[in-house]
Amino acid sequence: MDWLFFGEISLAGLAMGGLYALIGLGFVIIYKATRVINFAIGEIMMFAAYLFLAFAGGMEMSPWVALPLAVLGGSLLGGVIEKVMIRPMLGESSISVVMVTIGIASILVGVVEMIWGADPQLLPGFLPRKPVFIGEMYLAPKIAYGFLIGAAVLTIYLLYFRFSRGGVALRATASDQAAAYSMGINVRRVFNLAWVFGSLAASLAGVLVAATGGLSPQFGAIGLSVLVVVIVGGLDSIVGALIAGVFIGWLETVAGAYLGGEYRMPATFAVLAVILIFRPYGLFGTHEIERV
Amino acid sequence: MFKSILNKGRRLAGIGSVAAALVVAAPAMAQDKEPIVFGGSIPLSGVFAFAGVHLHAGLTDYTTWINSEGGINGHPVKYVMEDTGYEVDRSVAAFKKITGSNTVPVYYGDSTGFMKTIASELNSRGTTLMSGASFATALTNNEQYPYQFIPGPNYSQMFGIILEYIATQGKEGDMPTVAFVYSDTEFGKDPVENGKAKAAEMGIEVVEEIVTKPGSVDVSAEILKLRRVRPDFVIFHGYVLSPINEFMVQMRQMGLDTQFMGTFWSSDKLIINKMGEDADGYMGVMPYNYYDSAESGPVLDALRATAEKSDPEAGYRPTGYMQGWFNAMVWTEVVKRTMDAGKELTAENMAESLASIENWDTGGIIGVPVTVQDMSFPVGRIWRVNAKEARYEPVSDWIHLD
Repeated sequence: MDWLFFGEISLAGLAMGGLYALIGLGFVIIYKATRVINFAIGEIMMFAAYLFLAFAGGMEMSPWVALPLAVLGGSLLGGVIEKVMIRPMLGESSISVVMVTIGIASILVGVVEMIWGADPQLLPGFLPRKPVFIGEMYLAPKIAYGFLIGAAVLTIYLLYFRFSRGGVALRATASDQAAAYSMGINVRRVFNLAWVFGSLAASLAGVLVAATGGLSPQFGAIGLSVLVVVIVGGLDSIVGALIAGVFIGWLETVAGAYLGGEYRMPATFAVLAVILIFRPYGLFGTHEIERV
Repeated sequence: MFKSILNKGRRLAGIGSVAAALVVAAPAMAQDKEPIVFGGSIPLSGVFAFAGVHLHAGLTDYTTWINSEGGINGHPVKYVMEDTGYEVDRSVAAFKKITGSNTVPVYYGDSTGFMKTIASELNSRGTTLMSGASFATALTNNEQYPYQFIPGPNYSQMFGIILEYIATQGKEGDMPTVAFVYSDTEFGKDPVENGKAKAAEMGIEVVEEIVTKPGSVDVSAEILKLRRVRPDFVIFHGYVLSPINEFMVQMRQMGLDTQFMGTFWSSDKLIINKMGEDADGYMGVMPYNYYDSAESGPVLDALRATAEKSDPEAGYRPTGYMQGWFNAMVWTEVVKRTMDAGKELTAENMAESLASIENWDTGGIIGVPVTVQDMSFPVGRIWRVNAKEARYEPVSDWIHLD
């Protein structure tokens, strides 16, 4: 066994997994607070990446200005979607809300094709290009620096949810909406905040992933593949999204390297099937027991 | 930026209105003869729209040009199309609709999937000859697909042309080594087995095979595998842009001197426009002259003039445009040969006419006279990116496979 190769493959997988975790976080924050599975998360990622392309490419801004602007744009989009299209659906069946998010995804693809066209795109390079070596192990610079940026944002998120008033309100709403409401928490505002923060995480991941693999109107499909991550980790568990994201990223890469690229998805779906059999609510998800 | 958005919006709006109208009518002509209908299931939207809009423009402009030249034996040409979104069911519906209301001797199919799906109906109707966006090897099986042809070399033949070129690049008598990198799709896998057989026959060692998801994916692990086998050439197939850029950039960062090559849909100028300097040295196999190449010829010059007239702001026309034009050009030749022979425009008669094409001068679209073999045109040339000039330049002669 070539351990150096295994180490390099594992590093690449773990780094990519960090970005999966960030996308997973976007799913989980929204689901945890509002119980809505946002099937448009991939398209929000895509939209933010196109905003980055417009700011850094079309308007020739510094990428370090364009990046926060694009991420803010994506999170603002999430807030607007919640207010205009999701909030009126309050009280409707969850399948109706899911269908609305699927519709939003289609609309975003159409808007992007109208503005930027259907051509595949590459984002202007903004991450260092010098190869990264950890010991003797090579790590692609885009993946390495993308992981570092993602990890920094994840840390800020965790601290925010643990210590800030907004974070406490969000956790309280997730735990028991009625109790949170009775304690004076503005639940509607929390819903909006959850969409903004979820979209922010997804937008950042969108720009970082697009910087690695390119961008097209079909880029949003990656959001669905990350659904595996949040189901494995638990739809309402932030820790679950982080651990499952890193694990699935690693597994996918190792399976691709040793078994062939066509086995990447089967490997992750095999894990998903096993998890669903033994822990249908995910590794770290809440096991709800209803007593009649 | 804003102006660019407006321009794109206007162009898309134009395309939309054409699609809505369904019919691009021939200009008013003096001829009294029945029009010859070119039908098409065209992917103006969906995942293949980036090429579909150009295919459509090529077909539309060819129709304009051939009508200005008097049509086909005095018959005006009418191009009737419908947007399919690159979905097989919509392509089939478009085919039924267009052939239901017109007599359609020739038809453009937007995908291998559609062309395979419609084959049995095409065979039983016996009225229509079909070609399209696909270069799939399977479609050159004359027994199964007798009324479909490939407007160039099929993907296996493209690999053959690339391998012929690679075989000439060995140093000190050694054959170069190659790696195949392809997408995990029917499109991506098409030429791999034939490519391996051809390489073995030529004494070229295939040192690695990499399969990836198409499009936006991280390929760091796959690049690490290539780093260990250090191929002299990597041949990409089944991609348009990503992840070719990542392979090239990361492998060069690792200090490898591997050369990179691709097939038709991976060899457009999009690679140069998006990758810039990083695209330098990339090579592709192309059956047609590039729009901005130094080559010329009566039809190639007419193509440029028509393109310039139809959309003066468009500038360079992608390979999809050339492909659309060439498809219609072959249809014209086939219809004309069938008419000249005094035969009815049936699929069988037109397939015979197609098979009779030998040493055909395409007027500069392809740089050498071409001969049809097994319902394809097995000819191509290797072109290399000169990033400074932002164009492909030929690095081989035209290679016509036997």
